[in-house]
Amino acid sequence: MLKTLGLEYHYRDGKKIIFPEIEVGKGERLLIRGFSGCGKTTLLSLIAGALKLQNGDIKFDGNEYSKMSSLLLDKFRADHIGYIFQTLNLIPFLSVSENIALGIKFSKSRKSKVNDFNQEIVRLVSSLGLGKEVLKTPVNRLSVGQQQRVAVARALLGKPDLILADEPTSALDSGTTKKFLNEVMETFDSTRQAIIMVSHDTSIAPYFDSVIDFNSNNV
Amino acid sequence: MFSLLIKSMRSRIIPTSLVTISLMASMVLLLSIERIQQGTEEGFNQSISGVDAIIGPRSSSLELVLYTVFHLGRPTNNITTKTIDDIKLRNDISWLVPIALGDSHRGFRVVATEPNYFDHIKYGKNQALTFLKGVAFSELSEAVLGSNVAEKLNYSVGSGLQITHGSVESLGIKHDDFSFKVTGVLNKTGTPIDQAVFLDLKGYELLHLGWKSGKKVFSLDDIDLSVLPDDALQPKTVTAAFIGLKSKLTLFNFSKSIREYPKEAISAVIPGIALSELWSIVGLVDKGFELLTWIIIAISLIAMVTLIIASLDNRNQEMTIYRANGASPKFLATMVIYESLVIGLVAIIGAIILVTIVTYFATNQLNLALGISPSFKWISLEEIKVFSLILFAGVLSSLIPAAMVFRKNLHQTLS
Repeated sequence: MLKTLGLEYHYRDGKKIIFPEIEVGKGERLLIRGFSGCGKTTLLSLIAGALKLQNGDIKFDGNEYSKMSSLLLDKFRADHIGYIFQTLNLIPFLSVSENIALGIKFSKSRKSKVNDFNQEIVRLVSSLGLGKEVLKTPVNRLSVGQQQRVAVARALLGKPDLILADEPTSALDSGTTKKFLNEVMETFDSTRQAIIMVSHDTSIAPYFDSVIDFNSNNV
Repeated sequence: MFSLLIKSMRSRIIPTSLVTISLMASMVLLLSIERIQQGTEEGFNQSISGVDAIIGPRSSSLELVLYTVFHLGRPTNNITTKTIDDIKLRNDISWLVPIALGDSHRGFRVVATEPNYFDHIKYGKNQALTFLKGVAFSELSEAVLGSNVAEKLNYSVGSGLQITHGSVESLGIKHDDFSFKVTGVLNKTGTPIDQAVFLDLKGYELLHLGWKSGKKVFSLDDIDLSVLPDDALQPKTVTAAFIGLKSKLTLFNFSKSIREYPKEAISAVIPGIALSELWSIVGLVDKGFELLTWIIIAISLIAMVTLIIASLDNRNQEMTIYRANGASPKFLATMVIYESLVIGLVAIIGAIILVTIVTYFATNQLNLALGISPSFKWISLEEIKVFSLILFAGVLSSLIPAAMVFRKNLHQTLS
């Protein structure tokens, strides 16, 4: 489904990163492991189509990023990709359900896959181990674990083909991480979406189909 | 986008509303100045109509008009009745109404004139004076009231009144030896006529019979009025005279020959020309105010852009989240532009409401102070143009933060 070809990125400060080749099939789970500053976030931004390609290309279901305008890539991301940040995933002045709704706000095709919005978010939220009352809680009163689950619900809403997760567990303690991943992966199993997660945490490898170590390629 | 925008702005309500208020206040200032100026001009210009020329002692023409029409200021000099009688004989004149000013009744100016005043003096767009109650005076002991005078002092036909020497009630000596009886009350005109008390010139002369150079020499109580010879009450001087010509084409010849009148230094003033002189003076001050206000508006717009730029740093996470969910840099930039549009529109709507209230009270104040009542209006085409200009300038200046957002998000990783 997704394949990168010879991706490189030159930063303004002169640093250059050569990324490992990545290939992800439908419903496949890939973990990219590496330390902070190794370019993991840059790689995810490139795959998301939010950052302009410099060298190399990305193919996603036959679409070549290098041939798409940035506006088209934004639309492509809205339709096909769900994104989860390390922290601060939620907009404080929106309610939990408004935050989740952002997942389909910019995509007609994802919107059309959601028949009953309210029913769907209740289903997602409860499958991620959150109670219904969370939907009525102000965002800033949620725990970090709850916030990350809401972010997962947003990424999954409207069933995009690929989820990109940038160290979603780094702010959680190891017990919570385990519980979080169990619930998230279970939800993923039933929806059969591909996921690319980057993390420096080696303990979470068992949850993934494949693992790429990404430390030695810095130039 | 709008619901997101409004919620985002609401989360920054204090700075946003302060900037909106400052923009609103500067627009209120601009429009109030403009409206009061227009209103005053309109009110002044409508205060006299149907009068081709005003004859008075030679002085500044503006002074003469302000004094005779608006009852503002003091008379400089008088003009002799002999001269008036001479001018009356000219065959280019259709009518002539002499007036004498100087006295007052409880703060309202007294206009001593002849009964034909009510036939010839017009106001607004050539509207004739009409009586709400009663008729014009015909005896020297009778008086006619402007509508405000009757209303404020609760007078009606049959009421009696005494006149104070001079224009200020507390300073003048009362002509308490003679009373006038009200025979008529005029309808409201929205001009200084509403604030005036009209007497017969002969009655006015009678009041001053016992006076020599501004001092009372004897009281009317001490003499027998019935034996007074008729010509003793013929006024020797008047303040000015309103003139209607048979043909307006002769106006300039007429005023030239009045200026060259050999026996007395007099001049003929054309009210419209004198008033436009006034507006050219007032207009200059007005332009200064207007310029200042535009500067204030510019400052408010700069403050708005500064606010938007300053808020961008705090909104970084918000923008990145939109972006990760598929928003294009164009969407984010548009949101910034719309924010300035919302601030501008709210400020404009607020300004219209405030200006309407201000104009309403200012109109009342103008009426009280000058006796003129400009027409009340909601919003003019000219004002819509000004608002659109400000809105356009606001949107234009918001292109700066919009471009900043666009460029930043085009080259930024999602984190």
